[in-house]
Amino acid sequence: MSLMKNTLLAFAGVSLLVLAGCATKPPAKEQAIVGQVPADPPKNPVISAETLKSASQSIAVTDIYFKKEGKNLVFIEETRNKTNNNITSTIAPRTIEVDADKANASAVTGGPNSSQFPVKFTNLADPKSTAPGTAPIVTPVDTQASSNTSDAETQSSKKSGYESKMEYGELRYLANPIRGLLIKSGYKVVQAKATVAMPNQGDEYFDIVKRIKVGDFGDADYVLYGVLAEVSNTDNVSDIPGTKSTSHQMTLEVTVDFNIVDTKTSQIVASFVASGEGKDVQIDGRDTGYKPSSAKLMKLASLDLAEDVRKNLAAQNFITNNPGSAGYERNLKRRVDDDASTLKVYK
Amino acid sequence: MIMKTYTKTLQISALTLSVALLAACSGPQVRYGDAKAVETVNANYGSTDLQMIAEAMTRSLLQSKAISGSKDAPIVTLADVKNKTSEYIDTRVITDKIRTQLMKSGQVRFAVSVTEMQNQTEELKRQNQSGLYKNSTIAKTGNMQGAQYRIEGSIASIVKNTKDVKDVYYVFNLNLINNESGLLEWADEKEIRKTATR
Repeated sequence: MSLMKNTLLAFAGVSLLVLAGCATKPPAKEQAIVGQVPADPPKNPVISAETLKSASQSIAVTDIYFKKEGKNLVFIEETRNKTNNNITSTIAPRTIEVDADKANASAVTGGPNSSQFPVKFTNLADPKSTAPGTAPIVTPVDTQASSNTSDAETQSSKKSGYESKMEYGELRYLANPIRGLLIKSGYKVVQAKATVAMPNQGDEYFDIVKRIKVGDFGDADYVLYGVLAEVSNTDNVSDIPGTKSTSHQMTLEVTVDFNIVDTKTSQIVASFVASGEGKDVQIDGRDTGYKPSSAKLMKLASLDLAEDVRKNLAAQNFITNNPGSAGYERNLKRRVDDDASTLKVYK
Repeated sequence: MIMKTYTKTLQISALTLSVALLAACSGPQVRYGDAKAVETVNANYGSTDLQMIAEAMTRSLLQSKAISGSKDAPIVTLADVKNKTSEYIDTRVITDKIRTQLMKSGQVRFAVSVTEMQNQTEELKRQNQSGLYKNSTIAKTGNMQGAQYRIEGSIASIVKNTKDVKDVYYVFNLNLINNESGLLEWADEKEIRKTATR
């Protein structure tokens, strides 16, 4: 009886122990860092602050590419003299360069510039419109200017139209602050060769991979290139509430489409649109006939553009959020490690 | 006897005249009073009302979530307090008093209000556009700070008169509005009732 009692007690004790063991929570894992939130892993798998720290990467920054559409207004007057079997022809072409917008708003559409350009516009580059017998190109013979005698005949004809043309180039002022910030971030910035637009240049001007293969960017690991999307100038006057004064605001704004390409893999490692604004504000400026300084606006716009580029590059983990610390030290080390026999002047 | 009476009359007259002259030369009596003392001269809006409103509104505003819950002292600007009473009340004095008390608390910073903008723009124009100042010391145009909140409100009254009694009820409303979102972040009112009997 007593044995049974003891056995029962022993079972009860074991059961309690097992229950207590089940109820106990597993010990919490010790946190590696106490009091610190671990940083998010870099979103950009190609470049991170760590890789930048371990090896000094080089980058080439192109000047900002642009493409501008223009139209030439062409006016050709041809005088043809026919004497017996001899035909002589005199052609007097006149070309006026006009903005595409103005040309579009001209006689072609019967727009507001009809009186300024009182000609029928035809795209002279289009072979269809210039084909013989196309009505709009050759105007009928000017009866005032033509004469018909027994042995000589003079015929005068006029042609008018427009020629579309695309202008490609590089803006040389906007990229330097961006180069500066990349140097501060620790990149070795490589000088890129300037590109010269060829006659009848097409959009292959923007083919950065072709330029990388040609070797325009030396041994750069990356190429940052931007294409100008839009430039706008605004000039506005507004009242300042609570005062008798007005605020005259002159603004230059640039918007640029940027890409960073890995020169080895041709992979785009960062891509964004950045904009910069240069603003000059004068109180009662309209009354005093104030003229803003274009140079000042351009400088402010380029600095603002670089700041926006910095934010975008940091957001895509291409640079650290704090340029100037580790990057500066690395650049300093690079200068100290340079071969002493070569003369270098650093500003 | 007649002579004696005449002399006495003359002496009394001279004395009275002297006292009157002395009293005239001494002028009106001036004394300083307690600025915070309760003023009950009549039932019109007075200094005690101003003090009561400012104190109540400041206390309530400082306890609001928008102010007390802000990490940095928020920037606020004063807008109009509309006078909807039949009396002339300089409402600017009320908002100025509230502003002073809020400033003393250190929990709020104030940006110049619309009424102070003329002086502000003139000063900026003088420094930036006269060409007289050293560039590094100029307070540059374009760096003014915008206010996160604006304070605006109104004061209204209901007045009732009988032959012997005048009853005035004032209600002062004050609102704190978030300039960016347009949300009303805080609002409070102060009611005052005054009754004058003859």
